[in-house]
Amino acid sequence: MPYDEPEIDDPQELVGVALPGDESVTLEMAAAFADEFAQLGYTRPQILGLFRRAEYTGAHQAWTLLGEETIGRLVDESLAVWSHIEVRIIDGVDDGAQPLHLFRNATRS
Amino acid sequence: MATVKNWQLGRDMAYPYDARYPTRQFAFVFNINRCIACQSCTMACKSTWTFNKGQEHMWWANVETKPYGGYPKWWDAKILEKLEDANPGGQVWGGKVGDGRVGPYGTFEGQTIFEAAQKTLSPDSARVLGYLPTDEEWNSPNIYEDNPAGKRGVRNKLDETGEQLPVHNTWFFYLARICNHCTYPACLAACPRKAIYKRPEDGIVLLDQSECRGYRKCVEACPYKKSMYRGNTRTSEKCIACFPRVEGTDPETGGEPMETRCMSACIGQIRMQGLVKIAEDGSWAEDRQHPLYFLVHVAKVALPLYPQFGTQPNGYYIPPRWVARPYLRQMFGPGVDRAIANYVNPSRELLGVLQLFRRSNRIIYRYEIQEGPKIYDGSLHGRKVELYNDTVIAFGKSGREIFRTTVEEPVHVRTNAHANSI
Repeated sequence: MPYDEPEIDDPQELVGVALPGDESVTLEMAAAFADEFAQLGYTRPQILGLFRRAEYTGAHQAWTLLGEETIGRLVDESLAVWSHIEVRIIDGVDDGAQPLHLFRNATRS
Repeated sequence: MATVKNWQLGRDMAYPYDARYPTRQFAFVFNINRCIACQSCTMACKSTWTFNKGQEHMWWANVETKPYGGYPKWWDAKILEKLEDANPGGQVWGGKVGDGRVGPYGTFEGQTIFEAAQKTLSPDSARVLGYLPTDEEWNSPNIYEDNPAGKRGVRNKLDETGEQLPVHNTWFFYLARICNHCTYPACLAACPRKAIYKRPEDGIVLLDQSECRGYRKCVEACPYKKSMYRGNTRTSEKCIACFPRVEGTDPETGGEPMETRCMSACIGQIRMQGLVKIAEDGSWAEDRQHPLYFLVHVAKVALPLYPQFGTQPNGYYIPPRWVARPYLRQMFGPGVDRAIANYVNPSRELLGVLQLFRRSNRIIYRYEIQEGPKIYDGSLHGRKVELYNDTVIAFGKSGREIFRTTVEEPVHVRTNAHANSI
């Protein structure tokens, strides 16, 4: 990570490599997050909250670059499809947790 | 060196030991499209296994920002560069992406880390091409990735109030990593003490602390840099795949194998772990109703991480759909384009199997889908989408049902008895 301005004539200077990408890539990344979290059952405020929070850098950067309106549109598109799915999970019959037996039972001899 | 079969490379390759395969193999699939780098997995592992003195720098599970970061720093760029130096211009794939269980990504025509070592290293005891990361490379995972960076021109000092965040002006993604419990482990191959072994029952690679003398050959050899040296015990340590949980000895499950801490803690539900059947030649035996077999060999959406290293890693990734394809092809091999195409336009069965991710902390051995009526027919971002009210049923080792999922029903709130299920 460079700390100073690059010194072009320094042979030890890190050489940057251009990465292909433009706004459409950011759009695709934002759409992917919107799709995935809509599939997980998140609501509109929850997904938008993810984008707004700076801690989630990927989503937040897309929100910063594309704006609330575009992100909101992507989220609405995703929810239009995935809000039709609300997953219900039914656990199988369980024998229940086994006791750890870390301590000697006082009633036992 | 012996000759072994590597199904990911579609050819035989050199390895220091004869092939020995477990009956089942610890394996996992991570869906990168969902990862937001919350680091829940990282902290679950840290708080379980590496919280002691001398382990401060150890993160057996970590999530790094690609292509900007890595733990240790530049781990993949460095080994890729070494391989390129050993075989300039020759690290390429040939053949065609196909449907077979062996060589589904074509044939790798370059050199693995074992083959490159034979040609470039001396003495003969140097069995694996690798390098030892510096202390500086180990000591600050994620630094300068998404975290507050220091002011420009100020060395070794972070921005104390955190307002200066790095901005990546183009694509990036989060890569969650643990030990891949490789079929041909480089750490095992390099250990002069034979302290590292692969368990015949589940393929988990363990490092025997009583045999280790801290030569760090495993740290040098592992291309994924998931073997780490502990200074205060003078031994190396690595991910143990939470083997007590995988063995089913956790009291919660009553003998049923349980997924690892990092898998269970994943709030983004990107992870699924399993134990897949292994054929006599080391490839995956056909097991059509196993969810990992389906994702890797049927739907072909999950790909190994840097298969060209030659260790036949058992961690698989559903690649991020927004990332530049040349970068992904280097990281996951030539199967990337097909994997993303299949993921973006998922089959009905794939949509069902994706429902299995993180619904339970039990290891799934088999699934069934009971087909239901179509509930939606439309488009999303210009792509056709059809949704069905299918019921997906997961079964455990004993053959008993672990859970089932249906759609268009109210969200099930777990009872207090299951509230803390991670």
